[in-house]
Amino acid sequence: MESKDIRRSQHKESFVSGIIQENPLFVSVLGTCPALAITTTVEAAFGMGLLFTFVLVCSNIIISALRKLIPEEIETPAYIVVIAAFVTITKMLTEAFIPALYSSLGVFLSLLVVNCIVLGRAEAFANKNTVFDSLLDGLGNGIGYTLAIVVIALFREVLGAGTLTIGAIFTFVPKSTLYILKDAAGTYDYSMSLLTNPAGGFIVFGLILAVIYAVKNHKATIVKAKARAAAFAAAAKKAEPVVPAKEAVLATPAKEVK
Amino acid sequence: MPQWAYLLIAIIVIVLLAIIFVVSFIFYKRTPPPKGCENIGPSEGKCASCNEKGCHFNIYYDKNKKNDERK
Amino acid sequence: MSAIATFLLAIVSAMLIDNVVLSRFYGICSFIGVGNRVKSAYSMGLAVTFVIILASLVCWPIYYYVLVPAGIPFMDTLVYILVIASLVQVVGLFIKKKSPALYKSLGIYLPLITTNCAVLGVAQSNTDSGYTFAQSMSNAIGTSLGFLLIIVVFACIRERLESSNTPKAFKGVPLALVTAALMAMAFMGLQGIGA
Repeated sequence: MESKDIRRSQHKESFVSGIIQENPLFVSVLGTCPALAITTTVEAAFGMGLLFTFVLVCSNIIISALRKLIPEEIETPAYIVVIAAFVTITKMLTEAFIPALYSSLGVFLSLLVVNCIVLGRAEAFANKNTVFDSLLDGLGNGIGYTLAIVVIALFREVLGAGTLTIGAIFTFVPKSTLYILKDAAGTYDYSMSLLTNPAGGFIVFGLILAVIYAVKNHKATIVKAKARAAAFAAAAKKAEPVVPAKEAVLATPAKEVK
Repeated sequence: MPQWAYLLIAIIVIVLLAIIFVVSFIFYKRTPPPKGCENIGPSEGKCASCNEKGCHFNIYYDKNKKNDERK
Repeated sequence: MSAIATFLLAIVSAMLIDNVVLSRFYGICSFIGVGNRVKSAYSMGLAVTFVIILASLVCWPIYYYVLVPAGIPFMDTLVYILVIASLVQVVGLFIKKKSPALYKSLGIYLPLITTNCAVLGVAQSNTDSGYTFAQSMSNAIGTSLGFLLIIVVFACIRERLESSNTPKAFKGVPLALVTAALMAMAFMGLQGIGA
């Protein structure tokens, strides 16, 4: 039973770490091409994240299932072929079922083949771990990436276009627009249209990364300060040999009286 | 030419490309680097300022850095 | 307009007006990753230029003369990545055996070019947009020269920034991104030329 608990916590850890601690976009800064190009609308970003997760999970599963059969010399070509096959499948399915997403993603759907995250997870994780672990790892990384690009897209769409539109791409949701910085009748318009331009994408991504780095640096300085204080306390304790000797002297006369 | 002939040619071309890829990949890995270049790899000078996270050199370099920091 | 003028205008347009990196977002991963050394940026840019041109030269005919008549145009992504990857390996073999000097300067970047979004992006967009052969070649040449230009300029700027006093949170990637944003805004001013 214990080993099962340990394994379950390991699985949970590999799943959660992909979302927060080792978020592939914000921490390892991988896969930035779609993150800047697709994030003009929240829906497109969410769709891209879903497709990315699908490709990542499927290729992780297959590569992990085949890990003992692929000789080590031709690992990289084999992974590329597997990933390309899944991207082709995803392209065809998307073109058939959600054509609006297909036309708004354009070339970047094909570029998932050379996405650093997919190839990186395959080479670093999937060829050494079991199928279930690789599935969880793929799912975690995919969810983390989706969250990351949806956050960027939120900033870009809400502040840049002033509205938040749902239902333009995923047509099974009725199309509704939330007017935030802009008025439907056009009486006021406080949106910053630079943010929907390519330059705005760079700015938003750079500022979000700067905020994350600032938080990390702050935490690192707190940890360093605590470590230094602990080291000081340990050094101070070593420098007083007097107290134990006194206690020994006090203890012995009491024994003699008895 | 009938339709299936075109399809056959296409399949042959794709398989040929895959074979060329695998063969050239193995050859590339097996030929030794030319004489002045044995020690091309991650180095402090080149890779300290590089942010290219997709580079496999960078991954090795990061791993070495983490091991050194732990020690 | 004559054919040559259109060709040259298409190259200039892909290079400056609708710049491949700053406006079409093709080679971003390696663009942000390029350090502050101008010489390595230059070598990487040259290698990418070479591979893009060769790859588009091979991929367009394969699509229109092999895949489309056979009725399997959906296999284009797989075929393109096979072509690009084998091209990179073959070029690498060539450089290793014939020119040690060239290997010293761009040998490390060759495996990296396989996963460069720009190469596959150009090959794929050539056929997705239905270009003719001349249009796809001008797209390829313009894209690769634009990539080279942007990488070298970016490396020069970052080299200057290394010695300046930036806030600690911005060091590294965020600074690169903000610099790229300013460059993109500058290039926005060129839009509309030759429309």
